[in-house]
Amino acid sequence: MRLVTAIVKPFKLDDVKEALRDATVQGMTVTEVRGFGRQRGHTEVYRGAEYTVEFVPKVRIEVLTDDDDAEGVADMIVAAARTDQIGDGKVWITPVQTVIRVRTGERGADAL
Amino acid sequence: MVTVLTFIVLVVVGGKYSGHGGDTTGARTGTVADYQAATNPPGAQATTDVPLSQAGINQLANEAGHLRISVNFSWLLMTGYLVLFMQVGFALLVTGLTRAKNAGHMMMMNMASFAIALIAYFAVGFAFHFGGVAPVANLGGLGPLSGIFPHGDAGLIGTHGFFLQSAHGYDVGVLAMFLFQVVFMETAGYIIIGAIAERISFAGFILAEVAMGAVIYPIYGNWVWGGGFMAHLGQSLHLGHGAVDFAGSGVVHATGGWAALALAVILGPRLGKFNKDGTPNAIPGHNLGYVVVGTLVLVFGWMGFNPGSTFGATDLRISVVAVNTLLSGCFGTVTAMAWTNAKWGKPDISMTCNGMLAGLVAVTAPCAFIAPWAACVIGIVAGFLVCYGVWFFDHIAHVDDPCGAISVHGLCGTWGVLATGIFADGTYGDKWNGVNGTVKGLLYGDPGQLGAQVLHAVVGAAWAFGITYLIFSVARRHMSIRVSEAAELQGLDEPEFGAFCYPDFVLVTSTTGGSPPGHASPLPGASVGRRHADSGAPPPAADRPIAGSGKEDSR
Repeated sequence: MRLVTAIVKPFKLDDVKEALRDATVQGMTVTEVRGFGRQRGHTEVYRGAEYTVEFVPKVRIEVLTDDDDAEGVADMIVAAARTDQIGDGKVWITPVQTVIRVRTGERGADAL
Repeated sequence: MVTVLTFIVLVVVGGKYSGHGGDTTGARTGTVADYQAATNPPGAQATTDVPLSQAGINQLANEAGHLRISVNFSWLLMTGYLVLFMQVGFALLVTGLTRAKNAGHMMMMNMASFAIALIAYFAVGFAFHFGGVAPVANLGGLGPLSGIFPHGDAGLIGTHGFFLQSAHGYDVGVLAMFLFQVVFMETAGYIIIGAIAERISFAGFILAEVAMGAVIYPIYGNWVWGGGFMAHLGQSLHLGHGAVDFAGSGVVHATGGWAALALAVILGPRLGKFNKDGTPNAIPGHNLGYVVVGTLVLVFGWMGFNPGSTFGATDLRISVVAVNTLLSGCFGTVTAMAWTNAKWGKPDISMTCNGMLAGLVAVTAPCAFIAPWAACVIGIVAGFLVCYGVWFFDHIAHVDDPCGAISVHGLCGTWGVLATGIFADGTYGDKWNGVNGTVKGLLYGDPGQLGAQVLHAVVGAAWAFGITYLIFSVARRHMSIRVSEAAELQGLDEPEFGAFCYPDFVLVTSTTGGSPPGHASPLPGASVGRRHADSGAPPPAADRPIAGSGKEDSR
């Protein structure tokens, strides 16, 4: 099993959700996060004094998939979240040792 | 069905009875018949025959005089209520311009200041201020307020009306005057909150409000408005009409602004406001919506502040006053918007709001004496002044003024005082301060008036800054006027009052401007909460200035 984690622009969340719902994905988890990338935030002026927005708001999406589906899900997220602008975010895939469904105690692929 | 029936009834009844007996235009309401109905015993025959005897004419004249004062009382009280409502605007403005972690503290200061300063003003402030103001013709004379020390031309302090009592009990005119004047004093009282925000202790704040209500504001107010020596500069030094300040650019706003400067200097800047090299960091406010709504509430209240200062609706100059006030405020707004856009590429929302207030503050002294075009000029200058002032106190003077109170009220209040001596056009103010002739500024041929205004600005600033600085330099040796560093980092809500303004939110605190409003997110290490308060542990690393930004705390 794999965990696909994506950091995307907040306003792209709906596009990603629509794309994944059409695929075989059973569920997703969304978190509001902040962070910076290569741009290291950006600068604004408040009442004449400059300040840096060091952490830009983003959305983190987490999806559990079968080993075979992970690449496809990641590609779908990338396609749905892309704006071709700076700050589009990142997607990565990590191996998952096991998954347990809390209600039934099912393990592994059955719990997805 | 019910609707149709109601409609039919309305049409039938309306058609039958409209135009019979009612006074649709108001032209027939308020005649001699009403006068007689009000003055004769119930059941007496009303007649439209006017008695032509001298006694009858005297009776009518008495009634006319009573009505004149009644109209003025209504006007004074209504505009006083509008000024009272400005407290709401200020509470929203200053809370919006500060951080969420201090929002409860900001609101509580606005709440407490109202009651504390009012009681101080009731006990002694009003007597110091207006104890010798009589006569005030628009309010029936205010006869009981006739005590001033030491004497007429050189008055320093009023001596009648402590606890609103005089030798002959209380008086309707005096109490109407008190209501209108106490809300003016409250204005000076909450101006200082903008400059002392996010770091003053509640005890220190109470002292500031008592001082404002009892001493700082009333005594200077006496000099200009209560028949004191500044008002008599026209007679004593032949400077125009003496210090002229229609609704208080100097008496209220500059006094509040310069007192705020003294407090901000004594308290020192907030943690993280200035770097070691003196450059300022932005500490964005947490709710610009509050700031905008608060500013608009203040504009509404100003429609009482300035026009009400005629002390009566029988003075039809009130329309000139109201329109001049709005013009100056709007030109100040546009100027601040344009200035920030030109300088930093985008119009700054909070500076635009400050621009509105700057225009309103500046026109408060001259509004009754000037033409509309002059109000526009005054507003434009005020808009520049406030933008420059905020920049100056941040970058040059290094005085931390979170809400711009010193620039808005101190600088623009002073500008308003001077503007009166420049733009007063000689159409209003005959016998103002007991000097014959109308009030004329420099442009209309009376440089002496500008001289009096310069004295007004200088003496006012020296008094407000000096007395406040003196009181608090003594006070800080005996009490803690600033909260502890830990409390400041955590936010003052819980340390000072044991309650959070926003208990359901996990707040991100940062002493520098790292977290713009609305971008707060639940970063576990950066939360303000009971966890830290209960354990007594030092605040987490994320509460300190953001590492790696090269910015070090100056303290």
